[in-house]
Amino acid sequence: MPFQENDFTFLETNQKADKEQVRQALTYWADTWRRLKKNKMAIAGLIGVILITLFAFVGPLFTPYDYDEQQTDFANTPLHVEVFEIDTDFYVYLNPSTYRLLVVAEDGTFLHRLEQTSLDAINKQFHYDNAGEDVIVDFSYKVLPALADEGIDYSIIYKGVEYKTPLKVVPNQTFPLGSDNVGRDILTRIMYGARISLEVALFAALFSLVIGVTYGAIAGMVGGRIDNLMMRFVDIIDSIPLLLYVILIMVIVDNKGLGTIVLTLGLFYWVGMARLVRGQVLSLKEQEYVLAARMLGVSQPVIIWRHLIPNAMGPILVALTMMIPTAVFTESFLSFIGLGISAPLASLGTLANDSLDAIMTYPFQLLAPSLTIAIMMLAFNFLGDGLRSALDPRLRKG
Amino acid sequence: MIPMPNNILDVKNLRTTFYTHMGEVQAVRGISFEVDQGDVMGIVGESGSGKSVTAMSIMGLVDEPGRVSGGSIKFMGKELTTLTDAEMNEYRGKEISMIFQDPMTSLNPVFSIGNQLVEVIRRHTDLDKEQAHARAIELLRMVGIPEPEIRIKNYPHQFSGGMRQRAMIAMAISCNPKILIADEPTTALDVTIQAQILDLMVRLKKELNSSIILITHDLGVVSEVCNKVNVMYGGMLMEKASVEELFDTPQHPYTLGLLKSIPRDVTGERKRLVPIEGTPPDLLKPPSGCPFSPRCPYAMGICIREAAPLYKLSATHHASCWLHHKGAPAVEGFVQVEEESDHE
Amino acid sequence: MGTEKTRETVLTSLKALKAFFHNYYVRRVLGALLTIFLIATVTFFMMHAIPGGPFSRERALPDEIIAALNAKYHLDDPLWKQYVDYMVGLVTFDLGPSFKRTGFMVEELIATGFPISAKIGLMAIILIIVIGIPVGIVSALRQNKPADYLVMFIATLGVTIPSFVVAAVYIYLFAGVLNWVDAFGLNQPSSYIGPVLALVGYSLAFVSRLTRSSMLEVMRQDYIRTARANGLSRFKVIYKHALKNALIPVVTYIGPMIAAILTGSFVIEKVFTIPGIGKYFVQSVSDRDYTMIIGTTVFYAVLYVVMVLLVDVAYSLIDPRIRLGKKSE
Repeated sequence: MPFQENDFTFLETNQKADKEQVRQALTYWADTWRRLKKNKMAIAGLIGVILITLFAFVGPLFTPYDYDEQQTDFANTPLHVEVFEIDTDFYVYLNPSTYRLLVVAEDGTFLHRLEQTSLDAINKQFHYDNAGEDVIVDFSYKVLPALADEGIDYSIIYKGVEYKTPLKVVPNQTFPLGSDNVGRDILTRIMYGARISLEVALFAALFSLVIGVTYGAIAGMVGGRIDNLMMRFVDIIDSIPLLLYVILIMVIVDNKGLGTIVLTLGLFYWVGMARLVRGQVLSLKEQEYVLAARMLGVSQPVIIWRHLIPNAMGPILVALTMMIPTAVFTESFLSFIGLGISAPLASLGTLANDSLDAIMTYPFQLLAPSLTIAIMMLAFNFLGDGLRSALDPRLRKG
Repeated sequence: MIPMPNNILDVKNLRTTFYTHMGEVQAVRGISFEVDQGDVMGIVGESGSGKSVTAMSIMGLVDEPGRVSGGSIKFMGKELTTLTDAEMNEYRGKEISMIFQDPMTSLNPVFSIGNQLVEVIRRHTDLDKEQAHARAIELLRMVGIPEPEIRIKNYPHQFSGGMRQRAMIAMAISCNPKILIADEPTTALDVTIQAQILDLMVRLKKELNSSIILITHDLGVVSEVCNKVNVMYGGMLMEKASVEELFDTPQHPYTLGLLKSIPRDVTGERKRLVPIEGTPPDLLKPPSGCPFSPRCPYAMGICIREAAPLYKLSATHHASCWLHHKGAPAVEGFVQVEEESDHE
Repeated sequence: MGTEKTRETVLTSLKALKAFFHNYYVRRVLGALLTIFLIATVTFFMMHAIPGGPFSRERALPDEIIAALNAKYHLDDPLWKQYVDYMVGLVTFDLGPSFKRTGFMVEELIATGFPISAKIGLMAIILIIVIGIPVGIVSALRQNKPADYLVMFIATLGVTIPSFVVAAVYIYLFAGVLNWVDAFGLNQPSSYIGPVLALVGYSLAFVSRLTRSSMLEVMRQDYIRTARANGLSRFKVIYKHALKNALIPVVTYIGPMIAAILTGSFVIEKVFTIPGIGKYFVQSVSDRDYTMIIGTTVFYAVLYVVMVLLVDVAYSLIDPRIRLGKKSE
C-alpha cells in the first residue's frame, strides 16, 4: 500500500472528523409530523377528515335546501330520471316507485306534479290531469306477458300519441342524491347529518377529555390511598356494559338535544382517558424536570398543567382521535335504535334508521348515510393509527 | 492459520450488516478471534461497538433486516454461517448456549422455571420426562438455588433477579455446552449479586470443561474473570490480548483511554479519571479509516484514510493501530513492529 | 388451657378466613357480586328518577286510571318498599309484569328471547375465535407481506363499518338483488348467515388486529430470544412460547367483545327482525316499557359481569402473575 506524505504526522483537531456524531435533531412535533407524512394511510385519513369536515360544515352553504324542507310532491326521487318529451317543450317524468307524474324542465329539473285523476285497473292505465288534458301512463307492459318482449315497464300516452322510450335519462337535477319519503334533499340531509354526528363526536370526545384528564391527572399526582380509591371507582365503571346505561339515560331524559347526547356519551367514555393520563402522569412525575420544578416550590396544579399535560399530549391526542370514531359510532347506534337527536334534526344514524323500512325499494337512501358513516370512521381511524405509530417512542429512533 | 487442536471457535473476518430502509448499518466489520478450550474471553466495548451483534452472529440469531454478510464462524471445524436455522438449532442450547443481560425479561413469564428447563433438556437429550425433571432439579442445585424441588414449580416472577439469572445459567449449561456466551450477564444485577454470578459461571466452566465468551463494558469484570480480551470499537477489533498484556501494556489509544476512564487503581493512589471525549461512531455512515480516529489523540493522516491492519506484537497480543508501523512517530509505551498479523 | 385452645382455634380460623379472602378467585367473585348489586341499584333508581312516573307520557289519562295503574304495578308504595320488592324479585327471578305486553312477565319474555339471541351470539363468538386468532397469527408471521396487508386492510374495514351497514348491505344484496336467502326471521339455516356475519364483523376484525399486534410485540421479547438461543424449533417458539403470551391481551378483550356482541344484537335483531332479547329491548325502549327495560338491562349487565368473570378466570389460568400475586421476592 502506498503511503502518503502526511500519513505519519499527527493531525490537528480541526483536521479530524467531528467527534460528536450527532444526527440532526428535530423537535418532538416536527419529528412526529415528519413520520406522519411518510405514512400514506395516515395522510389519506387526514385528507379524509378535512374533506368530511368541509362537507359537513361548509357544504350546507352551497345547497339551496334546508335540512327540514319538504317537497312532498317530489318524494322518493331516485338518482336518475327518465325525461319524456310528450309535446313541444312539454317534458314529464314518471317516478316509478310512487307513480307520481312530474312536469320537468328540459334538463330534468322538477317543476310540479300532475294530479292523478283515475286508475283504470283493467287496462293497467293511470290517468293524470294536465290543465284539462288527459295524460295516460300505461303499465300493461309490465304485467301482460304478450308485451314483455318490448322490454319496457310503461309508456306515456298524450294527445293520442304513445311514447315508449324517454327522450333522455339525466341525473336528478333537483336533488343530486335523490329525495327521501317526504321530499327532502338527501344530500342536504347527509351534510347536516354528518355535521351533527361530527359535533356530537367532537364535543363528547372533548368533554370526556376534560373529565378524563382532570380525573387522571389528580389521581396520578396525588397518588397513594386517594389514587387507589379513584381507580377502584374507574374499575367499577369499567365493569358495566356502558352502552346499556347510555341507552337508559337516553330513555329517561326526554329532551334529545345535542347537549344531552354529548353529556351522556362524555359521562361514560372518560374512563379510558383517565387511565391513560394517570399512567402518563405516574411515569412522568418521576422525571427529573418535574422533581426540579417541585424543588423550586412550584405548586402541584401548575406542575400538572405546565409540565405533565404537555408531555402527555401525544398519547392524549391519539386517544382523542380514536374517541371521535367511537362517539360517531355510538351516536349512530343510538339514533339507529331510535334514541338519537330528535326530529327534524337528524344525524347519520337517524337517516339510516329512517330508511331501513324501505331498504328493498330505496336502498340508496340507506346506503348513502351508511357509507358516509363508514368513510368518516375510516378516515379518523387511519389518522389515529398513523398518529399512534408516529408518536410511538419505540419507533422514534428509526 | 492452522486451527490448533484445542481451538473450539474460530471466527474469521466476520461481517454483519443490517439492511435498513435508511441504509446499510455495518454493525460488525471484519473481526477475527479464536476461543480455545477453557478460555474465558472477554469482548469489551461501548454500546454500539458491535459486541452483542457478534454474539448474535455466532448464535445465528441475527434477525431481518440484518444478516452475516461475510467471513466465517467455525465451531470445532464446522462452518456455522452456512447452516439453515433448523440445522443451527442442533447447536444452539446444546453446543453453544447463551445467557442475556436482563434476567427479568429473559424467562418466559407464563411457564414455570421447571417447564422451561425440562423443555430445553428434552430438546437436546433423550431423557424422558421424569429424568429430565430430576436433571432440572440437579441443575438448579448446581447453580445454587435453595430448595430446588420446590422452586422448580415457581414462575419467573416469583424469583429475584439474581435467582432468575441463576436459572438462566442452569438452562444454558443444561446440555454441557462447549461454549457459553454471556451478554452482559451481571449488568442488570445488584453489585453484591454480580460477583456471585461471575464466580458461579467460572466455577461451572471448570466443572463442565467448557469455555466462556463474556461480553461486557466493564473492564473490572474482565480483569477478574477473563484470560483473553478483545476490545471492539465501531464494529472493528481494536486490540486483542491476554488479560495481563492488555492491562499492563495496552497497545491501542482506545484501550488506553478506556483504562484511564475507569477507577481501577486498587493501590489507594488517587488518580484523576480521564474521559474519552466525543461519542461512538454512527454506524450508518461510519468515518472512513479507523473508526476511533475522530476521538484519537494520536490520529495521523493515514488514520482517517485507512484502518490499520492488525499488528502482531506478541504471540497473544495484537493491535490495530498505525502507531505500531515503523514509519510512525514514536509514542511512549507503544511498540513498533515489522510484522502485520498473519490472518487475512 | 381451654381459653388458650379456643384462642388458637379462633386465630387459625381467622387466618384461614383471611387466606380465603386473599384468594384471587374469591376476591373476583365477591367483586362481581358487588358490581351486580350496584348495577341493579343504580338501574332501579335511574328508572325511578323519571319525573312524573312512567305513565305520565301517555295521552292524558284520567287521574283515577293513572292511580289504578300505579296501584297495579305497586308504584304507589314507598320507594324503599319498591326497592326491596324489586331486589327480592331479582333474586327470585321475578322481574314483574311487562307494562306494554299485558299478560306477560318480563322474565318470560327474556326466557323466550334469550335462547335465540344466545344461539346467534355463541355462533358469532366461536367464529371470531376460530377465525380471528389464526388470521392474526398468520398475519403477524408474514408481517409486511401481501397476505398481511390484505388481512389488515379487510380488518380495518371491518372495524370501521358499523354493523347495521353490513346488515343492510347484506340484506339488499343477498336477499334483494340476488334473492339467495330470506331477509328476515330465522326460518332456514341460511338465515343465520346474515345476522352472524353482521354481528361478527367488528369483533372479528378487532381480534385479528389485536392478535397480530400482540404477536408482533411478543416476538420482540427477550424470552423469545432465549427460547431461540436454546435451540427450540420455530414451531415451538411460536406456538408455545409466543402464543400463550400473545393470547393474554386477546383474552382480556373477550369481555368487551361479549358486550359488543350483546349490544350489537340490538341492531342486528332489529334489522333482520329476529325475535331475540335484543329486539325486545329495542322495542321496550321505543315503547317505554319500563319493567321490561329494567329487566333486560339488569339481565344484560349480570350476563356481562358473569362473562367478564369467566374471562378473568381464563386469563388467570394463562397468566400465573395474576393467579399467584404480583411478586414474592
